[in-house]
Amino acid sequence: MNDPADACAQLQQELVLLVTGDAPRSRRARQNLARALEQLGLGDIATREVDLAADPAQTLSYGIFATPALLRPGPNGQPDVLYGDLSERDMLERFLAEG
Amino acid sequence: MNEQQLIKRATDIPGLDAMTGGGLPAAGGTLMLGRPAAGKTVLALQILAHAIARSEGGVFVSFEESCAQILRDAASFRWGPSLAEAERFELIDARPQLGAEVSGAFDLEGLLAAVGLCLERRQASWVVFDGVDHLLRRQRNPLDAIDQVQQLSDWCEARGVSLLLTGKLGDAETAPTHLEGVEFMLSTLILVSTKLVGHRLSRRLRIAKYRGTAHVADEVAMIMDHDGVHLPHGHYAAQVATGRIEASTERLSTGVARLDEVLGGGLYRGSTALISGLPGTAKTTLAASFAASATARGERVLYLSFDEDQEPVVRNLRSVGIDLRGPLDRGLLHFAAREAWSGLVEEHYWALHQALDRLRPQCLVIDPISALLKAPGVDSAFVSIERILDIAHLRGITTVLTSLGTRDDPQGEATLSHTSTLADTWLALDFNVRGGERNRSLSLVKSRGSAHSNQVRELLLSERGIDLADVYEYGTEVLMGTARMQKESEVHAERRRRVLARQQRQHELERRLSQAEAEAAQLRQELALEQQDSVQTEQFDREHERDVLARRSTRTAHSDAPQGDETP
Repeated sequence: MNDPADACAQLQQELVLLVTGDAPRSRRARQNLARALEQLGLGDIATREVDLAADPAQTLSYGIFATPALLRPGPNGQPDVLYGDLSERDMLERFLAEG
Repeated sequence: MNEQQLIKRATDIPGLDAMTGGGLPAAGGTLMLGRPAAGKTVLALQILAHAIARSEGGVFVSFEESCAQILRDAASFRWGPSLAEAERFELIDARPQLGAEVSGAFDLEGLLAAVGLCLERRQASWVVFDGVDHLLRRQRNPLDAIDQVQQLSDWCEARGVSLLLTGKLGDAETAPTHLEGVEFMLSTLILVSTKLVGHRLSRRLRIAKYRGTAHVADEVAMIMDHDGVHLPHGHYAAQVATGRIEASTERLSTGVARLDEVLGGGLYRGSTALISGLPGTAKTTLAASFAASATARGERVLYLSFDEDQEPVVRNLRSVGIDLRGPLDRGLLHFAAREAWSGLVEEHYWALHQALDRLRPQCLVIDPISALLKAPGVDSAFVSIERILDIAHLRGITTVLTSLGTRDDPQGEATLSHTSTLADTWLALDFNVRGGERNRSLSLVKSRGSAHSNQVRELLLSERGIDLADVYEYGTEVLMGTARMQKESEVHAERRRRVLARQQRQHELERRLSQAEAEAAQLRQELALEQQDSVQTEQFDREHERDVLARRSTRTAHSDAPQGDETP
């Protein structure tokens, strides 16, 4: 059985983008995240990408099964999660702003 | 596509395998939809538990409940603990994060990567996505969600894995909310539903679609007990499809010698007898007599009693000379008491079916079968009774049913329940009230395969047991009890008078014969004397004649001689 708490505990002040190789939605998520960070002047926020296709065990570790997904540190050690290809700019900006 | 092209994987749920003709697709998805508490998760877990029991691996991906909840769900079933400890079982908590939001479309590539890893390390051939709609409803575009259901199925089909997808339905829905049309995507669709019947939860299952193979499309009752999910109809259909009914000519005693005579030697083995009548007409006594007689032959009997417990029945029967304690102690008689109101018709049916499987009895008593009419259920009591009797016939079980009637319609309920039509032998019990007396009567309404009389007989109960007495017609009535005994006495006296008269006549004839024989002897003696006298007379006459002749001869000689010599 997976224990997402272990993986999420590693989330410090960085963003984690869970992707699956070069799948279309993963590709779009990378692009949308990079564009948003740049436009919001948040280019200094550390962003780490985890390829679940290359390392499927990480899916179980994070307990995230819809991809792509953007994770940020949340209260009580649990990450906040934003699913999707991050194409909805308002949602993405709010997510980044609350972090 | 034909049967040869579709490979199936057994679920080892006999009813389901029977209805699907061997199981679910060995490669690809089966969609199982139903309302909450319909039993989707349990059915899926049970299929995995059975697969793991036969050394196939399984992966369960939960989108709604935590792993602990899933294991608690499973632990309430017999197979639950072994499933939780199985090395080839993997349980994945795939619930979406609390408070998670969505920005654009997502896919299930990460999920498939993880599941692929688990399938490989568990060498699994089954995967369950339980409540996948809980995740997919977050898709902005429902068409994406539907495509991803298809993707899951295709992914499993390519890997030769059986996929079971469960999803919730609301009232009057045919697909999960936001997933309209998903029911058309997969080749196999199972619908499970619930219905309150008499304040009891009744579960149903229907195979709404199974492309490429024959299947039972009827909605059937789904029972859930400690062993998990059961589909009695499918179980029944499988037995009927492969079974063959034998027609035995062996007769079995009812325990009442005169009734056996009436029946032409007893009940046929494997046949069904119905005993109907009002309360107190000795239905239970007669049925128990049959049971006791069977156990006396060393046969196993299952006695299913509705609404009356074992000990009162045993005590009451002892007072009429029927001992059930001995057979119970020897393990030949198994007494099962059930409250008709305590379960659905299908639950009673299934409990009986399980008891037949477990005990393998040669004889079955259900007392009274009419109690099933009181039980709530989506399944008709009539249909359940027919199935019970079909199975009994298939297994060669000789069955005695009792059916309770009412004063207004003593035999009506039996007729209503169709049991009388199904039964090979129908014994109708009643009361005969005359002259302030109430006497039990028995009539044989029908007995297939036996010449029999429809005459009413009096049923006599005593501490020595049961017996039948002939009854006498008096005009349009029949005489029983004291009237019958009085008539019997009259008949006996008349018979005795006739015997005495016959004896007197015989004595007179014997006397006359003796007299005649004495006269004959005397006449014979006189005749002998007469004959003797006759012989002597004839002898004398012949001697006299010879003497005369001799004298004449001498005289003639003298006359021819010379005169001188003539003698004077």
